[in-house]
Amino acid sequence: MISLRDVRFEYPHGGFSLDVTELTVASGTRAAAIGPSGSGKTTLLNLISGIERPGSGEVSTAGVRVDQLSPAARRSFRITTVGFVFQEFLLLEYLDVFDNILYPYRLHPELGLEASVRSRARRLASDLGLASLFDRRPSELSQGERQRVAIARALVTEPGLILADEPTGNLDPATKQQALDLLFEQCEARSTTLLMVTHDHGLLDQFTQIVDVEALGPTEA
Amino acid sequence: MKDSMYLAWRYLCHHRAKTLLLVLSLSVFLGLPLIMRAMSRATQRSLLDRAEATPLLLGKKGSSLDLVVEALYFQLKGAEAITEADVDAIQATGLALGIPIRTGLMARGFPLVGTSLDYFRFRNLRIAEGRGLAMMGECVLGTEAAKTLGLGPGDALLTSPSTLFDLAGVYSLKLNVVGVLQPSYGPDDEAVFVDVRTAWVAEGKGHGHQDLAGAGPDLVLKRKAGTVTANAKLLQYNEINESNVDSFHFHGDPSGYPVSAVIAVPHDEKSGVLLRGRYVDAEARQLVRPARVVDSLNKQIFRFERILEIVVWTVGLATAVMFVLVMVLSWRLRAEELRTMTRLGCSRWKAAQIMGSEIVIMVGASIFIAGVFGIVMAQYGETWLQNLILRGA
Repeated sequence: MISLRDVRFEYPHGGFSLDVTELTVASGTRAAAIGPSGSGKTTLLNLISGIERPGSGEVSTAGVRVDQLSPAARRSFRITTVGFVFQEFLLLEYLDVFDNILYPYRLHPELGLEASVRSRARRLASDLGLASLFDRRPSELSQGERQRVAIARALVTEPGLILADEPTGNLDPATKQQALDLLFEQCEARSTTLLMVTHDHGLLDQFTQIVDVEALGPTEA
Repeated sequence: MKDSMYLAWRYLCHHRAKTLLLVLSLSVFLGLPLIMRAMSRATQRSLLDRAEATPLLLGKKGSSLDLVVEALYFQLKGAEAITEADVDAIQATGLALGIPIRTGLMARGFPLVGTSLDYFRFRNLRIAEGRGLAMMGECVLGTEAAKTLGLGPGDALLTSPSTLFDLAGVYSLKLNVVGVLQPSYGPDDEAVFVDVRTAWVAEGKGHGHQDLAGAGPDLVLKRKAGTVTANAKLLQYNEINESNVDSFHFHGDPSGYPVSAVIAVPHDEKSGVLLRGRYVDAEARQLVRPARVVDSLNKQIFRFERILEIVVWTVGLATAVMFVLVMVLSWRLRAEELRTMTRLGCSRWKAAQIMGSEIVIMVGASIFIAGVFGIVMAQYGETWLQNLILRGA
């Protein structure tokens, strides 16, 4: 599902680089990416999703050589194949819960926002306990509810891969476990691969694969 | 595109106050110059039309503009009066028809215009309801005056007292409404027409009271050389009707009674030239061609309009700059949203489309508002602007 080989990435203005000699995450895996701050966890997610392009090496996601795609093709690939869950949720205040969930469809008309998609989104939202919150704005939700909306938004396009960047970082312990359970449950139900960045080592026993970003290759600050 | 419009619409709805402010600013920017120009052109045309329909105007020497504004548009400018003798003088030349115009009083906010029956024929004013003037004390209303006052034939209308706090002054005269004119879409629609002698009575130049011929000492103070002096018990009439019309009279020589202006309608072009020649050297009178006076007023308006246009365009430019600034700042504030879009996989073109849709919706709404405002102003603004210009002239 995810394969990186001899990858070297450097930010244009220097100061940080990431090297990955080899990384493979099989389809349907529940993987956690760990490492200290500044080790390149978010950069790794960016490379896998095609937000960033490596200077050299191969990045293959869902069977597609992402590093060989044009910027436009990478964007298109991202929105159709990858679902994102961010630590800050990044929901839009001017849209209600239902519209926030359907947001990727508004951004990429080729996805086709049809009646079947709407009913699927409703089902998904119900599964995540959001059925009674459709008309609410993000500011009217609790942190846990916001994260559930963000998870629903990541899953609504039925992507093969979910990249979650510290999705529980802003949640209290009880809510954190709830959100994780929901995320795992939904990914498992859809056989979706999950790669989640986390600082919380207490969660690691719930993952089937641990990726230590520091150990992927020589990194320098 | 539908999705971009949807997202833009939701964003604008969420930020109602900002959107409304921008839309209204843009409406002013787009609408004001066009509306001003259209209204100004229409007003100038309408002013000129009436002036061109009035060949010559005789009045006291002084401001020709005040004379025209008062006699043609019934806006009280305090133009000095000439006399009824001037009407006779015009008639006596055999060159033109003289139509007296007496303005100065109001009736419930509408100008009271004393004139002769010739005026109605000259202006081609037709009766829509009731009949024309037949005797003193009657009035005919312009269509707008009738509509606003809610009056029609059979109703009564009081003239506004010119000396409200002077108990010894002239009191209101109760006028009998006998007719309403058809609309003429000009100043005649907003006037109250009476016979010129009725206007003099309303001004206190003539009056009617109970007969003193057989009155006893309880009413008469003294009789001397044909002059009877009555006490305050004498009943003065404030309404002219069939039973008391004969008691109304004017003291002194009626030819010395005031008229504000005389419309002179020459029998032909040559008569007009001859008549103008007669007044070229007149010491206390001027015979003006209203079209020329209004044309000169229009030139002044045009100059003022040019200045106003520069001001409006400057304000418009400032509005446009403000609009761009607000949009740029708004997009900067939405940097995180744009980053999220990019990270999720939104193309730059799509992001630009969403932002562009916001502008399209706002500009569209502004054009709509400016259009509606323009239609409303075209309907009612011409009269408003005409009154504004004439009052300021």
